Order: sequence, then structure tokens, then C-alpha cells
Amino acid sequence: MSMQAITTQQVTFNVFRFNSETDYLPYYKQITMEVTSEEVVLDILDRIKWEHDGSFSYRRSCRHGICGACAVKVNGKGVLACKERMNDMIGLFGTELTIDPVSSKHAIKDMVVDKKDFWDKHEAVEPYLISEIEEHPEMECYVTPMESEALLESDLCIQCGLCHYACPVIEINDAFLGPAAFAKAFRFNADVRDEGIDERIGIVNQPGAGIWDCVKCFECAEVCPKEVNPIEKITKLHNQTFERNDAIDNVATRHAVGFAHSIKKHGLLDEGELVRYSEGNIGVLKHVPVAIKMWKKGKIVMPWNMPKSDKLDEIKRLVKSSSTVKF
Amino acid sequence: MSIPIYTYDAVIVGAGLAGSTAARELEKSGKKVAVITKLHPLRSHSGAAQGGINAALSHEDSIELHEFDTVKGSDYLADQDAVELMCQEAPKTIRWAERMGAAFSRNDNGTIAQRPFGGQSSPRACYAKDRTGLTLLQTVYEQALRDGVDFWDEWYAADIIYKDGAVSGVVAFNIRNQEKAIFNAKAVMFATGGYARSYKINSNAHANTGDGLSIVARHGLPLEDMEFVQFHPSGLSGNGVLISEAARGEGGKLLNSEGERFMERYAPNKMELASRDVVSRAIIQEIREGRGVGPRKDAVFIDLTHLGAELIMERLPELRDLAICFLGLDMIKEPILISATAHYSMGGIPVDKDGHARLNNTEFVEGFYAAGEVACVSVHGANRLGANSVLEALFFGRHVGKTMLKDIDGLTLHPASEEDADTMNAELEAILTSNGKERVPQLRNELQQSMTDNAGVFRTEELMVKQVALVKELRERFKDIRIDDKSKIFNTDLQEAIELGHMLDYSLFIVESALARKESRGAHYREDYTTRDDENFLLHTMAYMNKEGDISLEYMDVTLGKHEVQERTY
Repeated sequence: MSMQAITTQQVTFNVFRFNSETDYLPYYKQITMEVTSEEVVLDILDRIKWEHDGSFSYRRSCRHGICGACAVKVNGKGVLACKERMNDMIGLFGTELTIDPVSSKHAIKDMVVDKKDFWDKHEAVEPYLISEIEEHPEMECYVTPMESEALLESDLCIQCGLCHYACPVIEINDAFLGPAAFAKAFRFNADVRDEGIDERIGIVNQPGAGIWDCVKCFECAEVCPKEVNPIEKITKLHNQTFERNDAIDNVATRHAVGFAHSIKKHGLLDEGELVRYSEGNIGVLKHVPVAIKMWKKGKIVMPWNMPKSDKLDEIKRLVKSSSTVKF
Repeated sequence: MSIPIYTYDAVIVGAGLAGSTAARELEKSGKKVAVITKLHPLRSHSGAAQGGINAALSHEDSIELHEFDTVKGSDYLADQDAVELMCQEAPKTIRWAERMGAAFSRNDNGTIAQRPFGGQSSPRACYAKDRTGLTLLQTVYEQALRDGVDFWDEWYAADIIYKDGAVSGVVAFNIRNQEKAIFNAKAVMFATGGYARSYKINSNAHANTGDGLSIVARHGLPLEDMEFVQFHPSGLSGNGVLISEAARGEGGKLLNSEGERFMERYAPNKMELASRDVVSRAIIQEIREGRGVGPRKDAVFIDLTHLGAELIMERLPELRDLAICFLGLDMIKEPILISATAHYSMGGIPVDKDGHARLNNTEFVEGFYAAGEVACVSVHGANRLGANSVLEALFFGRHVGKTMLKDIDGLTLHPASEEDADTMNAELEAILTSNGKERVPQLRNELQQSMTDNAGVFRTEELMVKQVALVKELRERFKDIRIDDKSKIFNTDLQEAIELGHMLDYSLFIVESALARKESRGAHYREDYTTRDDENFLLHTMAYMNKEGDISLEYMDVTLGKHEVQERTY
């Protein structure tokens, strides 16, 4: 960009405005500006405040994607304002853009949301290394490069909250700890120096609040500006609970186990049997109307027609060598 | 309306590395601590430190070499007792941070990895990829949280309670709703960070408005060595966002518009890894002589392409990402555009090596401490070495926490009363009700642009006389502002106005101190006095502001030591 000439184009912004002290309902204010090819979304927020209306509020600090303060939404897409180029936004959405807070439900002033629920959940997973801290050590703990890579970059999470407020489970279930908190729990569980995995698994394994209520929609992975990939960490936490025999027998864990059974048996996924195994012989009945519709459209394979993978022997050996579950 | 008074053993302002570390130290020993921060602790600017943290860990290195490099880097203005203490304790400090959970990059044998940095005799910077500050900030905050420190986040510390030579608390308001409170304590620590935000092109966070400095100075307390502002050689062209020294440490080459590796002319031995002030002046000189590159010809190239994709992705992934985002340039494939950016504040609140704030050259303020970038110990003197700032914040944060712990039982609590909030109340009232014609963003922009133009990398008497007058004029115009937001909820319009008031006050300290220092030393370069003058200026500047807002200057001896003052070449 900087090698070529700087270009400009006219963009119209619809900006979410709300002051919880004085406004009953939020509203949108329209502002049209010349946007240069050098600018990021945060430059626009700054210009709205500095050139148009000083009462416009948003959080920001580092302005290079490391402090996590400036998460907002542009046309519904969660972005870190300081790291999102305007040209890319215009490329995606055109020259009329809507700027919203990450959660209008939590908005207290314009882009500023009350993040209490986010921080409470962050603190709930014991987000610190649990170990007796040697206060005057002569040597560091030895951690091999391979062991340090086991964190899978989860330590790069900057707590911006984008995944938290993009998560559809959080939206309907206040108890759910959410992808950022789970990524943090994983960050310490995966650390060879940590001794708190029992406590943390106890916390994230709870029905309702914990990892089993994740619906695996991948929104968190999609929205993360640091590519932390929270769902990958949630899956790792699933594995940790199985490995430790801590998994509680419920519909979500049985879904995982049923998946494994199907693969072991057929080398392929038997979806009907998966539902039966997860929900139980009684629970499965509530899905009968859907099943009939699917069957009519040829979407259901009958048990006696279930094909088998031609590499089934190899698959069975793999499953046997990696599975620890008892139910 | 009554203002609540909360009583603590200690109150700390700022929740970055220094503040959080000190808080943990006190809390662990059973003291009740409050940390006040205008951000969330994890947003503190310590987290932006990229490249590394120094400690002489390896057998090829030595504490004495670390001391020498630091003292030489400081252009001999550092106090050597403080430098010795910091360098000696550096290995233990880093290993302690590691034990608390910091995710350092590792050697194959499991020890902490180190990389070369500018001005150093040995690869000495321990690192966590290119996000060293992030892992350290997370770690100290997390452990402070674990130990039960009270964090008051998004509270704005507006004033200290200072009477009869003693500081006994902090006056603050909640940014979320303007709720006010007085924090009464025996011991108060400032860890509020640096002041480079007064420059147009800077690497600092929006938050780094140097509030702590002006709050202290308005009570007539001194600020030390404020003229020493470090210009980092590699800020991204246009916005000044930092490209860590790790880029040069890993082998980056600086090239001008003629493709010449121009550092050969300025620092033939150390080349790109000469001290930061030397490299920054070389870059600006190349640009001034017409050999700049980029659409505005206001940058030079740093070429990292020879390092290869694998090494860049392993050691500099964040930096690559920054250049792609802000310049649209991929450092794996092409050189990127950089120029000098205002980066670090060597000056600050004068403290002894244990963190006691000075009342003057010989006396101290009771119950008042400072650590981290806001403090001037001075371990950096006239120029800081790369990867020494994170060390300073971490080590002195902890060390000053220990000092407070030692002192606290001997200190008495001076009970606070509601009148102690009078200054803050008046300041808020004045800004909220002022109905003038000046705009805060306009004044701030004029301040920043003029500081870059007149008090930047190259300084002259003429430019700085002009700048003194300009800052004073801006201060007058500031009295005639009007803000748009009069509401109580997250009123950042109000906050930016308060911050501008701070920036204007301490900027005058920078310029007045720089005007009087008729020599060139470290980051302070005078085109009209191009050499170092040890006879007259091997001294710290101690600057005071009176009630009228005028600055007076005194000087204080430098604590010399075993590293003799000599000519500095790279």
C-alpha cells in the first residue's frame, strides 16, 4: 500500500449510538467521510469522535492489535478496530458500513459494552499457573520447545471478547463460560508446569456452564483476530476430560462416544445410530418426525444398509490405540 | 454528595508490569492493596513490548558486561548503583517470572532462549516469540489476581493527596459512571507509564498520556531528565507503530533510496545494532538528505527477506502481521518502510534505587514511590538499551514493592477527608462547564505536531525557544475549551481533555529541560552543541513547576561507579 499512491473513497457510516444515562433506545447516526487506503477501522472511530462528535465513546489503547480493547462489529462482522483495514471492509461490504458494539445487549455507551460477564467468566476458570511459585529461583523450569508448543498459541489470546460475544450459546445461556474462558483454561492445562488441571477440569466439565454445551458452530474460530482458534481448545478440553476419566455420562459426551463407536464399527458415521446413542432409546423418539421427513427424501441410511469403510481394519486399530473411555 | 474514603495499606496507580508486580509482592505479605488503572490491567502498555527482556543468563555473557552496555548505552548518565542492582538481579527476576508462568521461547535443552539486541555485547534478550511483554503482563496480572489484589479497573486517578511532605492517598473517579472515591493509604506508588504520546509520530498506546507526571508536578514535586525521549529507529511509516528491535537483532538491514546499507557510514562496527539514538539519527539524516523512500519519502527500508519465511514465521510473526496490516507489505517477500518514532521516556519521577520519590536533591517524599517507565531511577540515563525497559518494570516493580513492605509499618496513616477531592472536583467541573471555542483534538494535534517538529530527534535553541512559547500558548488556549459530552457514562471526551492538560504540562518540562541542556548526549541531540559536555552536563536535570506553571531547573549529581566515563562509539 505504502509503495503506491494513497487513494481515497467516500464511505457512509451508520454508527450505533446509545447513552444508557439519557437514551431509552439506541439509534443510528449517519456520517459520510473520505476514507484513505491507509486507514483502519480505529482511525474511523477516532475521526468520528475528533472531527464530528466528541460524545462518541469507544475503548482503545495500543492501536496495533495487542491490548484487545477495541473490538467492534462492522456490518455484523466482529473485528479488532485497530487491525482491520478499511479497504478490506469496503471490499467485503461496499461503501455503506454499519458500526455496532460487539453486543448491543451489553452496550452502555456507543461502542462501550459492560464486560462484567466476560471478566467474571475469565476469572472463574482460575486463569493463572497453579503451582508453588519459587520466589528466588536459581534456574528456570526446563520446558522443551515441543512442550511449549503444546499451548497451541492459546497464550496469544488478548481477551478482546470477540469470540465471547459471537458465541450463540452465550446468547441464550448465561451460565456458559464461553470460548475465551475455555481457551484460557486450556492454556494452563496444557502447560507442563501447571498443577491445577484437576480443579480446572472440574470447572469446565460442569453441565450448562462447561465445554459440553458448546454447539461446535466455529463462530469463535472464525471471529478470533489472533487466530487462537478457541474451538480447537474446547475440543482439547473434551479430550482431557476423557483421558482423565472425568467425562460425565450425558448427551454431549455420549455424542462424542457414539461418534467413536460408529467409526469403530463402520469406519463411517452412522447418523441415525449416533442420535439414538446420544439421546437414549426414549430420547430418540422425539426425533422421529424429523427422521421420517429425512427418510422420505432419502437422507437416512437404514441400519442394514450402512456401508463400511474399506480401510476398516486400520481404523479399528487406530481407535483402539487412542480411546480411553469406559462407556 | 459525599465521596467515599477507602482505606488500604498501599495504593498503586497503574496495572502494568511494575504496578501489578508491586501489588502482588505486598498482597502476598498480607498487606491490603488497591491497584487503580484507567484501562483493564491486561490492556496496559507493558503488553505491547515485543522483542525481549535482558539478563546475562549464558556462560558467554556476564553481569558486568550487561552493566557496562547499559551504562555506555545511557551515555554515562545512568546512576551506576541502580544499574548494578538491576543487572545483578536480572537473571533471578526473569527466572521468577518464568516460574510464575511466563511462556518464554526455549532452547532445545529447555532453557530460556535469548536473541541479540542493539548496543549489547552478547545475545541477552530473553523472549517469547515477538510478544514478550504480553506473556509477562499476563503472568504478573494473573498471579496478582490469584493472590487477591483489588484491581479498580477503568478508574481514573486524577490527583494525589500530598500534604506536609507526605503522600497519603489517591483521588479518582470511575470512568464508567463518574462515581468518585478517595483511596487513603500509608504508601502510594505511581506506575503510570511513559510520555511519548506528546509526539505526533510515536509508538505508544493512546493511554500513554503521562498523567502521573503532571499530577505529581502540579504539587511542586520535581521531574528528572525529562528532555530524554527515546526515538526508536523502526516505527512503521505513517503511524509510528513499533517494529521491534528484534527485526534488526535477527539480521534486518537498513537501506536508503539508493539501495545503500547506510549504517556503514554511521556505525561501521555495530551497523544496524548500534544504540537506538545513533540509528534513529542516521535514519532521519538520510531522509533529510533526500534519500528517503515510500510515497512521502519519509522512511527507509528495513530488509528482512534474506532471513527466509521459516525464521520470520517462527520468531517475528506479529511483526510481519503488523507490516501487512498497516503498510500492505509482506516482510518475507519485500523490504518494509520504517522511520524513527517517539518511543520511550527515560525521564520521570525521580526516585532512589529503592523507589523512594525525591522531594529535591537530598530529601524524599514520605510514603510516595514510583517504578517502571514513569520513574527515573535512573537506569537508562540519556538513552535506554533495547530489552532493558521490560526488565526495569519487572525488577523495580517487585523491588519497590518490597521497599514499601519494609517501610509500611513505620509509616503513619494520615486520615483523608472529603476536601482532599477538591482539586479533582474543580478540574472536572471546569472542563464540563467550560464553554469556550477551542477543541481538544485540535490542540492535541498542534502539540504533537510541534513537539515532533521542534523537540524531536534533532534539536536547536531556535526551535526550542519557539516550542516553549507554543506550549505556553496552547496551555492558555486550553483554558478556553469546550467539550461535547457532558454526560456521566464513559465520558471519554472529558477524559481526553484531562489527559491533554497533563500532556501540555509535562511537555513544557521536556522542552525547558532540553533547551537548557547545551550538549548532545544519548537521545538528546543538539545541532548547535553536537558533542557531549561532561564538564558542565554530566548531571541529572531536576525540574520544578510553580503555581504559575513556570518551570525552574536544578541539577543533581550522577552516581558514577566502576564503569568509567569514556567516549561512546559503536
